[in-house]
Amino acid sequence: MAKVTSKRVKGQLIPISLTINGTLHEIDVEPHELLLDVIRDRLGLTGAKRSCDVQVCGACTLLLDGRPVSSCTLLAFEARGREVMTIEGLAQNGKLHPLQEAFIEHGGFQCGFCTPGMILTAKTLLDENPDPTEEEIINFMQGNICRCTGYKKIIESILAAAKKMKASSSRI
Amino acid sequence: MLKRFRLEEPESVKDASDFLARHGESARVYAGGTELLLVMKEGLIQYERLINIKNIAGLDEVKLDDGVIHLGALATHCKLASSTLLQERLPAFVRMEKNVANIRVREVGTLGGNLSFAEPHADPGTVLMVLGAKLVAGKSSSRREIPVEKFFVDAYETCLEADEILTGIRVPLLPSHSAVAYLKFGYLERPSVGVALFLAVDGGGKSIADARIAVGCVGPAPKRIEEAESLLKGKGFDEASRLISKAGEIAGDASQAISDLHGSQDYKEHIVQVLLKRAFHQAYGQCQPGGKGQGGLHG
Amino acid sequence: MRFEKEIEILNSKEKVWAFLWDVDRFITCVPGCKEAKTVEAGKSYTAMMVEKVGPFRVEFPMGIEVLESQAMSHIKAQASGSDSRVGSRLKVEIDVRMKEEGEKTHLSLGVTVDILGKLATLGHSIIKRKADLVMEEFAQAIKNRLEGVS
Repeated sequence: MAKVTSKRVKGQLIPISLTINGTLHEIDVEPHELLLDVIRDRLGLTGAKRSCDVQVCGACTLLLDGRPVSSCTLLAFEARGREVMTIEGLAQNGKLHPLQEAFIEHGGFQCGFCTPGMILTAKTLLDENPDPTEEEIINFMQGNICRCTGYKKIIESILAAAKKMKASSSRI
Repeated sequence: MLKRFRLEEPESVKDASDFLARHGESARVYAGGTELLLVMKEGLIQYERLINIKNIAGLDEVKLDDGVIHLGALATHCKLASSTLLQERLPAFVRMEKNVANIRVREVGTLGGNLSFAEPHADPGTVLMVLGAKLVAGKSSSRREIPVEKFFVDAYETCLEADEILTGIRVPLLPSHSAVAYLKFGYLERPSVGVALFLAVDGGGKSIADARIAVGCVGPAPKRIEEAESLLKGKGFDEASRLISKAGEIAGDASQAISDLHGSQDYKEHIVQVLLKRAFHQAYGQCQPGGKGQGGLHG
Repeated sequence: MRFEKEIEILNSKEKVWAFLWDVDRFITCVPGCKEAKTVEAGKSYTAMMVEKVGPFRVEFPMGIEVLESQAMSHIKAQASGSDSRVGSRLKVEIDVRMKEEGEKTHLSLGVTVDILGKLATLGHSIIKRKADLVMEEFAQAIKNRLEGVS
């Protein structure tokens, strides 16, 4: 195989439009740019973190059309025409999402590094399954790693958020 | 940061195949990228061109096609895991798909990509091997069907030609009074040992009409272990139960396990034996009339 | 990783010993070894080790030092090289012992391979398997060459 250097490959710009936290963005990306870098470096949304860089830990989790993806291993152009949600987009009009409140109230984070990924993934769970058992939470959240909490408080936070969300939706 | 590459987005298998034929080793098929982008990020391999095949229509369908289950190569693990057709017809396959990697990989990674990349520490190939699946590969103006046993050549190496693309996987419907069990073991990010078993019992549910055993993750590629299978075929449950440890030993020995970070060769061979035994009891129970218990994935 | 191989060659000690030092002929027996050069005969050499596993390709430009050698008896050598593209380093220690057994020469080959860097974590199993194959092919090739088969 011939040795490939960047110089041999001509630059190629792909114009994409994507919705990030409800706002339409139109940007040009090169094919090799990773979504995490575009989100963090070009858009300044630094909630998602580069941690393991091999899509195992979940710290870089973003929601793409409501589904969790590893932005460290997703090419940016794949988000074209789609909706991206980052942790920064969860609170609405200054009001925290019940998951964010629950994580605060129940000590669901210590250093906070894994937390954006945890919360976004938990949001996906609760959107899919508003009344999960502890086992279902553990199973769903298996791909998100935390080095600080030992997970107990995270599970409690998610259970509490589920309870809160059920209560408020039943009032409607 | 990835090295720069050009993106090609063909809309037909023919166009994709033509790109591959034209650019040879400097181009690679790209679908979910969940395996490919990792090795590219590590700098272990570089490509001048990635051929994005996700714009080719119809490659992600999951359907029953003339008595055969058709799995589109571009179907994500997530799509496969949530298919009602597959839950009904191939529940063990669905259970395996539900547990591939993690939720984010399942969302983006495709079955075809997983098989084509041929990472030894993977699940789908082992299960498809006992299902008698055939892999459909297409190129410019032709297509062929490849039995799973022939597909995996070595670690990271399949029998696909340079300009061939995996387009689908065809799985025959399972006969009645049969069951599949897949058990895996691992504590690192990828599975360390995977054992798949297909068992069919005779009408009375008393003796084993057919057995297919495949071992994955421990060697360079998943492997059918016919020697172990013949030990079980035609036997009644009691006799087969007595022989299952021996079958497991044979399977371990034949699996080409090597010592590495996942464990020593002896350890892996032993785990193969343990998982086969558990798979046997699980599958046999499910074969019995009325025995539709699910069983665990980890035994 | 340690590999050991016993090779029986139907040829004299003298012929086998001469073969081991004939760089150009010797490297044809080592799979993946290309462009071998003598820097100082009997002491130091360079060679390029190229290996391919599936689509992955590594190139290690190796420097080889002979540490010890006793005519017709044994050789101890050390080789190392880096592939900066994959951020890895390859270190090999080789010891060869030679014994005459009637018409045959018996070679006892011991090789210790160390991989450092990315390949060590990512490719441990692959490397081991590859190294096993290389040893196997080498043993066969050297037999063939010296027994006049190829």
